[in-house]
Parts: sequence; C-alpha cells; structure tokens
Amino acid sequence: MTFLQPWLLAALPLMTLPLIIHLINQRRFQTLPWAAMQFLLAAKALSRGYSRLRHWLIMALRMLAVAALILAVARPLSRGWLALAAGGRPDSAIVIIDRSPSMQARQAAGGESKLDTGRRQVAAALATLRADRVMVVVDPVRGPQEVAAPEAIVDLATTGPSAAAADLPSLMRATYDFIRENAAGTTEVWICSDQRANDWRPDDGGWSGIRDAFAKLPQQVRFQLLAYSAAATGNVAVRVTSVRLETLGRDRRLVATITLSRQTEGESVALPVKFEIGGVTSAVDVKLDGHEAVLANHVIPLERSAITRGWGRVTIPADADPADNDFYFVYDVPPPRRSVVVAEDPASSRVLELMAGIPADRSEVDVEVVKPDSLATIDWNTVAAVFWQGSLPEGRNAEEVEALVKRGGQAVFFPPERPARGEFMGCSWGEWSDDAKATTAESWRTDQDLLANTLAGSALPLGEVEIHRSCALRGDLAPLATLAEGEPLVARAAGVDGVTFVATTPAARDSTLATEGVVLYAIVQRAIDRGLQSLGNARQLDAGPAAVEVNEVAWNRVAGGDAAPSTEAGWHAGVFSRGERLVAVNRPATEDTSPAVADERIDALFRGLSFARISGEAGDTDGIVQEIWRAFLITMLIALAVEGLLSLPRSHAHDPAGRRTRPLEAAA
Amino acid sequence: MFTERQTRSFLDPAVLARLAAVPLVARRPMVGTVSGRHASPHRGSSVEFAEYRKYVPGDDLRRLDWRAFGRSDRHYVKEYEADTNLRLVLVLDTSGSMDFGSGPLTKIDYARRICGALGYLASQQGDAVGITCVADRVVRSLPPRRSPVHLRLVFDLLDEAKPAGPTRLPEVLHEVAETVRQRAVVAIVSDLFCDPESLAAAFSHLRFRRHDVAAFHLLDPQELAFEFQRPTRFLDMEGGGSIFADPIDIADRYQRAMTEYLDAIRGIVLESAIDYQRITVDEPYEQVLARFLVGRAVARGLR
Repeated sequence: MTFLQPWLLAALPLMTLPLIIHLINQRRFQTLPWAAMQFLLAAKALSRGYSRLRHWLIMALRMLAVAALILAVARPLSRGWLALAAGGRPDSAIVIIDRSPSMQARQAAGGESKLDTGRRQVAAALATLRADRVMVVVDPVRGPQEVAAPEAIVDLATTGPSAAAADLPSLMRATYDFIRENAAGTTEVWICSDQRANDWRPDDGGWSGIRDAFAKLPQQVRFQLLAYSAAATGNVAVRVTSVRLETLGRDRRLVATITLSRQTEGESVALPVKFEIGGVTSAVDVKLDGHEAVLANHVIPLERSAITRGWGRVTIPADADPADNDFYFVYDVPPPRRSVVVAEDPASSRVLELMAGIPADRSEVDVEVVKPDSLATIDWNTVAAVFWQGSLPEGRNAEEVEALVKRGGQAVFFPPERPARGEFMGCSWGEWSDDAKATTAESWRTDQDLLANTLAGSALPLGEVEIHRSCALRGDLAPLATLAEGEPLVARAAGVDGVTFVATTPAARDSTLATEGVVLYAIVQRAIDRGLQSLGNARQLDAGPAAVEVNEVAWNRVAGGDAAPSTEAGWHAGVFSRGERLVAVNRPATEDTSPAVADERIDALFRGLSFARISGEAGDTDGIVQEIWRAFLITMLIALAVEGLLSLPRSHAHDPAGRRTRPLEAAA
Repeated sequence: MFTERQTRSFLDPAVLARLAAVPLVARRPMVGTVSGRHASPHRGSSVEFAEYRKYVPGDDLRRLDWRAFGRSDRHYVKEYEADTNLRLVLVLDTSGSMDFGSGPLTKIDYARRICGALGYLASQQGDAVGITCVADRVVRSLPPRRSPVHLRLVFDLLDEAKPAGPTRLPEVLHEVAETVRQRAVVAIVSDLFCDPESLAAAFSHLRFRRHDVAAFHLLDPQELAFEFQRPTRFLDMEGGGSIFADPIDIADRYQRAMTEYLDAIRGIVLESAIDYQRITVDEPYEQVLARFLVGRAVARGLR
C-alpha cells in the first residue's frame, strides 16, 4: 500500500492515545466509603471473561478508529492484491511499454487488447500517483520520451502496436541511462508486458549487469510490472516460411511454404488460408492439429507471368490476436546461385565444388573455385556464399569476406591442415585432435539454422557421419552440433549472422562428410540459400532494428503499416519499395511461438531491486491504483459504531431501581 | 406534648399533622392492655357484632338476645368485637452501612424520620411505642409504653443512634422475636444488607410469634444505579476491607448481583407476608408513610 501523503503516517503513534488515556484514568482513582459491599464482592466473584474481552475490544476499536483516521488522511492507494510495495508519490515515472504483436491479444472477441488495457491502466495509475515527470520508453535508441500528461500515453502514436519484438534488456538499459543522467529523486519504472520470452530474453547475459547498475543508483528506483501473461486461447499465427518464384517455360508460379502455429493446443480445425497476390485472391484450407501445421511448397500460378517481381499477403480468419493473422511476402526472380570455394586442399575443394554446383531446383548456378592467393579476381558483390578451407582470411581478403557477411552473405570455414594464429571476427582455429578412433556428432540443433530438420520433419543424418579428426575452435561461438566429447563440430560465430565453422574437412582422411554427402550438401545449399536472400531485390525482414533502413524517406510504403508514422515504418508489418527493391517487413518468427516467462524467472531478473508484479488481463476495467481513503473512513465509522454499542450499559431483565413493591403485593 | 418545646430534626410537625389523618392500624388482632382502636382476639364491648353463642349459666343476662329467644325458644348470647391498643416496636438498623447517603440524607437520617413519625402517630392514637436499635447485636432498647414521656425517651434514643459496626440483622431479629412477648407491630427500618435466606428465617420467627411485621427497606439511589466514571477504591463502611474496581468494568455484574438480591428479598416478603416497603432515600418520607398507612387501612377495611 502506498500513500500520497506518507509523512502523515508519522502521526500513527497517536493510535495509542486511548490506551494512554486508559492508563492515566486508572491512576486517577477516587476513594469512596461504600455500604453495599456484598454486591461488589459478588460482582468481583462473577465470571470476568466476557467483561474483560469487551473491555479490550472497546480499547482495540478505539485504537483502530484513530489509526483508520490517520491512514485515511494520508490518502492510501490500492495497487491490487500482490503489489504491496511501500513507497509514496514518485518524482519521475518511466513507462516501458512492450508493444510487440503478442500484446495485441484480446481476452474476448471485440474486447480490449492487452496493450490498450495496459496503456489505459498505467495512465490511470500515474494520473492518481501524480508524478512530476512521466516518460515513455518504446525504443532503446530514442530512450525515454517525456509526455505532457499521463493520459497522453493512451493516445500517443509511438505507444501503439508494432510488429517488432520489444527487447526488454535494451529498453531497461536505455531507462537506466536516462535515470543516471537525468532523473533525480524517486523514480518508478512501470513495465507493461505479456512476459514473452522473445521480448524479455531472460537468458541475455546483460540482465545481471542491468540489475547491478540499477542497484547502484543513488536514487530509489521501484519497478512495477503490469503483467498480462495469460496466453490468448485459440489464437493461430500464420507465417510464410519460404517463397520462391519458379519459371516453367513461359509460365511462372510461386512456391510458398506456410506455417500455422498456436501456443495452446486445441481441437483440430481446418483454417482457410487466403493468398492475395497482385490483387488476385486464392484460398486453401489447412488442417491444424496440435501446435503447428505446415503447408509445404504450395504452388500459386501467377496469371501475369510477365511480372517477375511482386508482393503478396497471406491471411487467416480473425482470432484473439489480430497482429499475427497476416503475413507479407515479396518475390523476385532468384539471382544466380553464385558461390566461391576457397580451398587449400584439392580433395576438399572438389567436394565443396560439387555440393555447391548441384542446386535443388533449376536455378542458375555459378561456383568459382579459387586459391586463397587468387581472391582479388572475385566480384564479391554477387557472391551468396563462400566456402573457405584453409587458414583464416587476413588483410584485404578478410575485409572482403567481412563485407560479404555484413550484407547478408554466408561464410563457412573448414580447418586448414596447419592452423595458424590468425583469427576472423573473434574466432580462430585450435589444434587438430589426434584421436585415432572415429567419433560422431552427439547432438545438433534441429529447429533452425544449417542443420535444421527437413521440411518433411526428418532430421539430417549427422549422427552417421564419422569424424576421424577434428580441429578445435576458439572464440565466442554458438555450437550447432557437438561431438561426443562436447567439442563443437559445427558452430556459429556469436553475434554475427552468417559465419559458420565446421571443425573438420570433407576430405576422406578427416571425415565421411563427402561420402555421407547429405549433411554437407544441406549445409552448403542452405548457406547459399541464406546468402541469396541478401542478393535479390526482394527481401524479407523482421520488424524492428533489422528493418530500420525502410524508415528512410527513399522507401515507399506499398502495403500495410498505415497507422505508423514514416519514421517508424520498420517497426510495422508491410511492404516497402525503393526503386527495384522490395522489402516485406513482418513480425519476428519467435513472436509466434515464444512462451511466457515464468513469474519466478522474472522475479529473479529483478532480485535485489524494489519490484512488484500486478497481474492483469486484457480488458480489465478496474484501475490498478485507486485512492482508498473512503474505505478507511468507513472502517473508522464502523469501529466507532461498534465501540459505542459495546460501551452501552447492558440491559437487565430486572431493573433494581425501577421496581417498588406495593403494600398489598407484600401482604399477598 | 413537648413541654420544653424541644425540636427534633427528624420530626416535621406539618408532615405529622397530615399523616395523622390516616390511623396506624394493625393487620392482625392485637392483645392490648386498654381499650383502643385495634381488633383484639377476645370478645368485648365494642359496637361491632361478632357472633351468637349459646347461653351458659353464669353469663351476664343483660347480653341475652331476647329476640332470638322469642324466635327460636333457645337462649343465645350476643357477642361483640373487643377493641384494644397495639404495641409498636421500632427496629432501627444502626449498622455502619446506614450512614451511607449520596444525597442530602443518609439512610440513618431517613430511618429516623420514619421511626419518629410512626412512633408519634402510634402514641397519638394511644398505642404503646418501643424501639430497639440493632447492629451486630441489640445496641439499645426501650420496651413499648404508652406514655408521652416514654415517647420522648424514644425520640432521644433516635437522636442518639449512631451508625457503626457490622450488620447481623437476622440474629438480632430472632432475639427481638423472643423478647417481645406480646403481639406487636414490628417495624424494621434497615437497608437489609444481609443474607436473604437467614432474613427469611427471622421473618418467619416473627410471624410465628404473631407479630405484624413491616419492613422499610432503605436503599440509596447510587447503590441502585452504581454510576461512577472513575476507577474507585470502595471502603467498607461496616469495617471490612476495601475493593479497588473500575465501575465501568464491573457495573453490569454489580447490577446483576443487586437484581438477584432484590428478587430474593421480594420472594421472601411474599412468602412471609411481610408488609414490605422498598424505599430509595431520595423519595419524600411523607409519601412513603402515607402509602404505608393507607395500605394498611385499606387492608383492614377489606377484612
């Protein structure tokens, strides 16, 4: 419970006044000669249980009445059942709003979304608390933005729904920076979120630093989490996993893979999935059992086959969360599958060249095999992926490969025969293992990345690949596959999307990657596929920082994101064009499947800080902070009334003063 | 009658003059020594017919009813009620508790007025008046006599009575019942602060001795109401110890004990046929005595 006038609580000791008066009264006794002693003795001898109880009840009620009066004038605030953190009116209030797509879920059809409910409740709470300054944080780059009045939070365009994940750690960092530099006095940080793991990233190593930084702040900072963690029942999300344009003679067609997913398992339903491409609509029913359904390689003939580039949208019927009911995609004639194989070892070079030169479809393929010292002849701007077996690139070569990776290309490194000391993007080769015995991969990531399961759901036969020797990896790496000893077999450079290390070579002396060619083929082709995405004129981007480029004036909005200001275009789903380039911006994939973080986990993130959680539901009409002085006044009145009743003299069946015996009665 | 014009603080001539209009009568036949206005158990020469009785030799022929003889040819003697005087024994409680009074009058002051007025009225109608002052024993006593001089002695005794000591009223009443040999009106003026059971036995004893018992039960308003605001140390006026109590705390239990006691007294007086008057000392005593006298007069008229 908090108070708007907490200093008045200093008067709480006054509640002992009745007790003090009672004790003083006890000392001020009188002495009286008394005749009717026999009745006093009888009164003393009678049971005192109820009388003593009544006496102390009266005393307690008087104290309660005084306490209730003092509490009432201190203007208490109710903050729900669980949030009983002490504290008064804050000097500054910073509101962190998670406006990710999952926050648009509704509890009932046509009801208020979690985001709207949260904004309204936070605005009402801050209006009651009357903080001097109110700031809103929705973007870590811009940091807290001051609003004129708490009520403005509800209508502010920047607090509206977006397609991007929230990135709570970054928002917290921005909040911390702001408090450290600007805010003085008590600060209250309100977080309005549905606790999704992809927004909170509880495994982010930065949380401990954030926690420590807040704990060290000189001013008092209180955190209030307004949590709407209940998952929307029956909500289904639609996503285009892949789309490609195929040309068959003079006809063109789109081959799209659609994923339907839901977090709460429900009964089997057949959902009509509607495609809108160039103004033409088609639909197909997809049966959803369990959590996920995949419509793989769905073919959509294009009527105007002359058009090679365009965009489309997939929609499903409205449900609890409207934000994940549609998905934009763009398509274009795929660029040539151009890759470069740089290898010291001819055996490896040959295998990699073969793997890269056999595409899964009839795409145009170009594989260039060069020696490390002949790289200057390569036009890196058209390369989708580079497969590098040998010492890590250095000098100008390293710069070229880095540029390739940064623009979205892929680099897959295989170890050299003699590992050198050089490193690439913080990673380097160690020593070769000299185990004579062959080993196999113990585990690998099957959900995503280069070793993911096939579209049919089958796992790659990585376990069948024998590894005769492997080279150790050093640096900040995220393993995709590990050997039995725990050493990484395939790993990605952490923090960089596009640099992969394989700890052995396809050469027969090192492994059976070449003979058990499926795994290596999948790695190579998937790397080329991923690299191609950066080369084409049509690209899919996740909303948020990854799509920040579409905020530029040169980009035109083609579809979607109407409500968003142009400076925030990259945070909203839609299609954007710039010259010949098309970009489809959609919510991140994790947004569809990410579960809510457990309350205990959230509590752990704020351990050591003043933190309280208020659980809410979308559509809650109650305020989270209310003045409840009336309740205390009523309590006081009830206490006084009961005290008055208990203090009344007890009625007697026979009133000794009120009866007189008539003589005739006596005679009778 | 007051030759020296001696004034008594407990006597108000105006009150006495008004009360003299109603005679003090006994509710039971009295055995007096002289003729008076009270019924006697014996036949006498009053004008009030009592009964016919068969003539026996030796009866006064003047009392023979010749008309009855003429009608029945049998000799009957006509008998009349005898009128006699009564003996009024005033029993005044002079225990320490009688000194209590929250108003202008203490209980002993009030008792003096009751006794003085009754004694005067009885004396005026030719009845014998005696007084016994009691506490834990018979403190002082004057036997019933008819003379005005004796009445003065009674008044003197009333003047000199000082409340002191504990109460042992039941025991003293047993003693009174034994010492007053002839039938009398025994008027007890006391606060009756004693055990009701033993009091009942004493009343029965007095009734057994054919006394007409009247009890004036004096109570102070504060004893009934028990309304105090401050914690109080109560000192026993009859020499007992003291009790410290918060009156607000124990008022209800005190009232309960008082009610039980008064109920017990009420039961006793109904069983013993005592002429019982419960009096709070803030009532005018004239009103109390008028009610007492009229009540007895009416009761006699009904007989």
